[in-house]
Amino acid sequence: MKEIKIQAVCGFGCGSSLFLRIKIDQILNDNKLTARTFCGDVGTACSADCDVIFTSAELAERMIDRAKVPVIVINNFMDDKEVAEKVLGFFETINE
Amino acid sequence: MEAIIKKENMRVKLPAGDWQEAIRQVGTVLKEAGSITDGYINAMIEAVKEYGPYIVIMPGFALAHAAPCEAVLHEDMALITLEEPVCFGSANDPVSVMLCVACVDQDSHIRALQKVALALGEEDIFGKMAAAETVDELYGILHHV
Repeated sequence: MKEIKIQAVCGFGCGSSLFLRIKIDQILNDNKLTARTFCGDVGTACSADCDVIFTSAELAERMIDRAKVPVIVINNFMDDKEVAEKVLGFFETINE
Repeated sequence: MEAIIKKENMRVKLPAGDWQEAIRQVGTVLKEAGSITDGYINAMIEAVKEYGPYIVIMPGFALAHAAPCEAVLHEDMALITLEEPVCFGSANDPVSVMLCVACVDQDSHIRALQKVALALGEEDIFGKMAAAETVDELYGILHHV
């Protein structure tokens, strides 16, 4: 199976997206899933090569029309339950 | 134990009437530390005007930052609590704990921020932080001592 690429996006790709990426990495690790995770900024996120974008509600609105991949909204970047549900939910869709 | 965030870069119960003042307060800590100039504080405020209150990434907590730029002199972080919480217009309002991150590029601060993210994983940590009366108390909560 090809490597899954997950992009965590914030305004500049170096602050809140990093928090989100850390949490996603933790969920992947806990569930023995492998994927490459990286941070992006809202300006260039849609042209970056990835399979899915995770971001906040405010930034998702700006990308949803341009994105070629699913854009998944995370409301609380540090909530294990929410991030796990959404990350695992995404993996289910690609395994179908 | 190595500090996740320096005690000198922490303040408790700073007054702020709105979210812009709150960003100025946390930014001023880094300015006084000699890590950023006013330009970075303005850039953090502009970022919220431009992109919305997405920096409120958890209930009660905002991560103020802007793009790496000339106004960042050194990579640094500051942590403050507010006397009264402020609203950003986010679903995670009201905010009483603010972290400010100044970065020189997109990667070099990753390890430092990773430690903060892990330390903030504890349940209701922001409630405890907001209630801290002294910087020593706030430092203790973040460092779990």
